[in-house]
Amino acid sequence: MKTLRAFLLLALLALVGGGTTLHAQDISARLAGRVSPEVAALVQRLATSAAARGLPVDPLIQKAIEGGAKGVPADRIAAAVRALAGQLDVAAAALTRAGPTHPDTDAIAAGAFALNAGLNDTNVTTLARVSGPRHAQGGTLRVAGTLAAMGVPAAQTVELVTQVIEAGGDSADVLALPAQVSAGVSHGRGVTPAQAAAGLARAAAARANAPGQQKPKPPHP
Amino acid sequence: MSGNNFHPQVKQLLDGEITLADLPPALRAEGEEALRLLAAVDREPVMFPGLDTRVLAKLRRRADSPSFWRRLVTPREVRLRVRPWTLVPAFAAALALVLVLVRPAPTPATSAVTVRFVLFAPDAHDVSLAGTFNQWDPAATPLVRTGSPGVWSATLTLPAGQHQYAFVVDGARWVADPGAPAVDDGFGRRNSVLSL
Repeated sequence: MKTLRAFLLLALLALVGGGTTLHAQDISARLAGRVSPEVAALVQRLATSAAARGLPVDPLIQKAIEGGAKGVPADRIAAAVRALAGQLDVAAAALTRAGPTHPDTDAIAAGAFALNAGLNDTNVTTLARVSGPRHAQGGTLRVAGTLAAMGVPAAQTVELVTQVIEAGGDSADVLALPAQVSAGVSHGRGVTPAQAAAGLARAAAARANAPGQQKPKPPHP
Repeated sequence: MSGNNFHPQVKQLLDGEITLADLPPALRAEGEEALRLLAAVDREPVMFPGLDTRVLAKLRRRADSPSFWRRLVTPREVRLRVRPWTLVPAFAAALALVLVLVRPAPTPATSAVTVRFVLFAPDAHDVSLAGTFNQWDPAATPLVRTGSPGVWSATLTLPAGQHQYAFVVDGARWVADPGAPAVDDGFGRRNSVLSL
């Protein structure tokens, strides 16, 4: 009996220690030769802390690798990785406010991208609520971030995505928005991304208000 | 005659307080009768075969396995003795469990999209592409000159999703794609964004 207890206790200790070690080894292996040992150690600490908070780890590793590939000094890589960890925290909080479930790591990474592209945390919360169960939050936020990166102002980005979803658009309709804005800019004479987005939002609103069109109820109050 | 009707002195005799010789002669016959009756009573113990064994076994079982709650709340000294031979299977079991737990979850099949990247760089000697899809490795995806002067291109098949990238001109200059949206890369430059 005592031997069995000892076995179980040792197995538990080895499991906890082993999991952490493998996780750390994986990060070390990915960063080996790409960044300085100091940056690798910092990323490892930040990644371990982020994982404990339910945040995605891969964006942090990718950012460090990117900095190393671009020949960026170690202190600037460290600052960029820290800043990204902060954005992931903000995105997670914004998504949590949207409720009702804890956000998944894909949505958090997409939220951080949207923040980096120019949206604020309120925009992220709004878009997460609008997504509802029919649309993946990560997909919606990535599209919104891409629209913002194209030059569509944040408020108009939220308006356009909201109108398309509330008009009954599916995920493919949302994913097509950057290409539609781009096409509007290319085909129009002097049309800005903001103007192209406004035109698409008006069209979606008109579809939503057309006779016989069932406007889906927002999933969350 | 019953015991209750004995003379008090005869009862003393039965209780062993006095002897038959101590009784008055008039009570001796009654005393003898009372002793005879007492001797006739069956003094053999009542035996239930195996009862004590069963009772003791049950008590022992209870002592050996107290209730879960009692085990939980009863303070006791715990001594952990690590036997070397338990380390090997313990670590083996833990390793197996870790491997199962850290195995990446199967991802849903994603569609792949073929994309052509083009950059006009007439003065460049070589151009490559680095991004999230190739671990930002500038040597991984070189662009080739097209028939048009100064135009470089590469065609890649990438998984659907979002990718960030930049062109690397002459191995040192990182250039965002002028035909794609871009975001701050955190290092003072811009990364191009591709959503598939």
